[in-house]
Amino acid sequence: MESGSTQFFFLIDKLRIQLLNSIEGATEKDYFQEEISPFDSGVGLQMSSGHSVTTVKSNCLASVTKFAQILKILSVIYRLVQSNSYATKRDVYYNNTQLFGSQRSVDTIVDDISCMLKVSRRALHVMATSKGLIAGDLCYLEEDGTRIDCRSSSAAVSVSSNVSGIRNIVSSAKFVMIVEKDATFQTLLNDDFCRKLSPCIMITGKGVPDVNSRLMVKKLWDTLQIPIFALVDADPHGFEIMCIYKYGSVAMSFEAHSLTVPSVMWLGLLPSDLQRLMVPKRSLLPLTRRDENKLNSLLKRPYFASQPQWQKEMELMQQSKVKAEIQSLADIAPDFLTSIYLPNKLRYGGWL
Amino acid sequence: MSKQGRRHGSGSTGGLLILLWDEEAGAQRLNCTVAAAGSWCSGVEIKALQLDLKGRMFPHVSPSLEPDPEDLIPFTELHGSLRLLLSFQMKDARHWPSDWQSDVEAVLQAFSLANAGIQIHLKLKFAQKTSVRDFRAKIKAKVSRADQPPLLLDVSCPEQKRWFLSKPHGWAKRASWCQGGHPVDGGRLPLGIPPQAMDGGLLGDLSVRLVTLLHPCVLQYPNMPTELKSIKVLVYNPCNIPVSGPSGFFQTLPSSMDCQHLGLRGLQCPAHKDPEFRVGTVFTTEQWENEKKCDDEEQESSHLPVQQSLLLFLLLQHRNPFCSHLSDFVAADMLIEHHLEEILCNNKPAVMAAIRTEIGNAMKAQNQRKKQQEKLNSAAEVILSSTMSIVSCSSNVDFRNACFDLMKVADTHALSSHLGESLRRVMSWRFLPVGRCYSTQMEENLLHHGSTKSEI
Repeated sequence: MESGSTQFFFLIDKLRIQLLNSIEGATEKDYFQEEISPFDSGVGLQMSSGHSVTTVKSNCLASVTKFAQILKILSVIYRLVQSNSYATKRDVYYNNTQLFGSQRSVDTIVDDISCMLKVSRRALHVMATSKGLIAGDLCYLEEDGTRIDCRSSSAAVSVSSNVSGIRNIVSSAKFVMIVEKDATFQTLLNDDFCRKLSPCIMITGKGVPDVNSRLMVKKLWDTLQIPIFALVDADPHGFEIMCIYKYGSVAMSFEAHSLTVPSVMWLGLLPSDLQRLMVPKRSLLPLTRRDENKLNSLLKRPYFASQPQWQKEMELMQQSKVKAEIQSLADIAPDFLTSIYLPNKLRYGGWL
Repeated sequence: MSKQGRRHGSGSTGGLLILLWDEEAGAQRLNCTVAAAGSWCSGVEIKALQLDLKGRMFPHVSPSLEPDPEDLIPFTELHGSLRLLLSFQMKDARHWPSDWQSDVEAVLQAFSLANAGIQIHLKLKFAQKTSVRDFRAKIKAKVSRADQPPLLLDVSCPEQKRWFLSKPHGWAKRASWCQGGHPVDGGRLPLGIPPQAMDGGLLGDLSVRLVTLLHPCVLQYPNMPTELKSIKVLVYNPCNIPVSGPSGFFQTLPSSMDCQHLGLRGLQCPAHKDPEFRVGTVFTTEQWENEKKCDDEEQESSHLPVQQSLLLFLLLQHRNPFCSHLSDFVAADMLIEHHLEEILCNNKPAVMAAIRTEIGNAMKAQNQRKKQQEKLNSAAEVILSSTMSIVSCSSNVDFRNACFDLMKVADTHALSSHLGESLRRVMSWRFLPVGRCYSTQMEENLLHHGSTKSEI
């Protein structure tokens, strides 16, 4: 479906105006409250002032290894900053695999150091290995001057590992669509989605997003100020991934201001879509015990105070006890996702 | 005494006085008085005991003079009226070994260890000299078990075993030393009575109870490495009196121990006769050497493991339903002592296995600390190298000078050395209070009241 007419993007443009108005109307106090609470609908999950402090001792057998790991990583960071060079977390891990034991140890400690020194991870000169992909109406320059053009219809571009160094962003996109899974992203790419619903940008973090993918979404919002939609599976895990983009994660709450995009809208796949579209029952999966536990946990989160429609959708999922992946739409028709579902959703404002 | 042939005292406290004196300077004979008072000898028919002992042990010895009452008064004032008073003369003292006094003291010391409730007073008056020595348990621990009579042990750490390594600068106030040990009850092992002993009249049930005690206690310093340096085996008869160890049996102990499995290079029985070695059998251990050699003496002192000694009590227990009189018990004890070598040899595999288990438990704790030490050392190397990397690479003079000033050094070489030493001290000297330890803060109380804890 071609989207050349302005009529197609009417509701999206209207949404954009609403979002811009809500930003302009907000005072500093809305964003930076005197008493920082753990959740702020304008920022997301953030670290409270009353946070607990963990002490890592060098003379305690249980923590001495961690103490050594922290010192080692601090020395690596120090050399990187001093020499103005960068390394990925993977590089740091391979510096001494026997000491660190696992990549996860390095990741956790780098985040802890970032929080302890109250600086962004970028300032530590330790970069996360990007895993996200981006495609669509977008051009920019990397810090080293490399020009990136995401407009290729057949291939996506890896999200930059130095998002904060990106400059000269050029785009006429009307919206950005976050896609939960790489499989769905590739399907859309193969179906030429970005050209059919041009101008737009789509990005995926391939599941739980890494920091660079989140930084990229944030950068697109800050720079382009266009609506950002999330396309995730109709299951608790997909919902949680969307919330990470929108409200952030507990682990990175100390950097919430630079990572969250509270204006993210839920485009689909909604639990109510399953009934409305009469998705075949064979495509529906029962909620597992783990799904139910996660769902119960999600319903207790502070997000829903400002999102009553989201709460309704999650309660619907809880009642129906079924979930579905985006791929289930292919059981209605092979190109249902790109030809019918998404265009109609975007045209007629089917987002929450 | 119980009709069932069990040995019970109605209490385990009181005093024991040993008086040795000569009538005049240069006298050939030495007089000895043994006096007892307190609850530990209640329920005993004293007159019958005195007659029995005189008849058994000193049938041909002339009656001696009575002791000077002045020597008895302080004893009775402390422990109450005498319940036992036995005096006799001993053979020509001139032919005794020159260090016989040390032998007497060693026996009394060993007795005191397993009978901590009894205060022993030794007074020697001969060759115109008087010496007094008291054996009194500073710290006592009751070792109880459902099927065993309670045992009151002297668990105070001997002076020579205390260690006073230099403490790190500005050490926390709460740090303290445990002045005692924590006995571990290894349980009861039934023993078969060999035919020779049975023929001699030894009947009933015979068993041995194993209790171990490790000195000094470093439970409050979980990161401090330790090294088991010696093992002392003390054997006691059913009346808790130390007996001469069956030397032949214990000489085979080193070869019966799987030292490698225990983590030791070997066990040796030294020939020298230091005071500590006069009673019981002592083995010294040979450890595997894997410590780095330090050139700096000060550094080396803080890296050395704490040398510990293991005291292994073998407490023989005998039960004979046909024993009802005190003389029966005395006779049985004498038979046990006489046939001790045969008894232990008759039960060699089981006894050796039990001893091996107790030593193994002590070594397990030591090996665990060794592994922990390796982990700490490995981490310390990383911490040190990382810190030095930052300081030595820094071009900020203020930062470098601040680091040097803090450690009171002049350059990075000295900084590395001092930092490493400080780090190792901080790690080794980690203090975690343990409720059952006898801390130094209790010393003042101990001087007046002593201390008793139940360990099991």
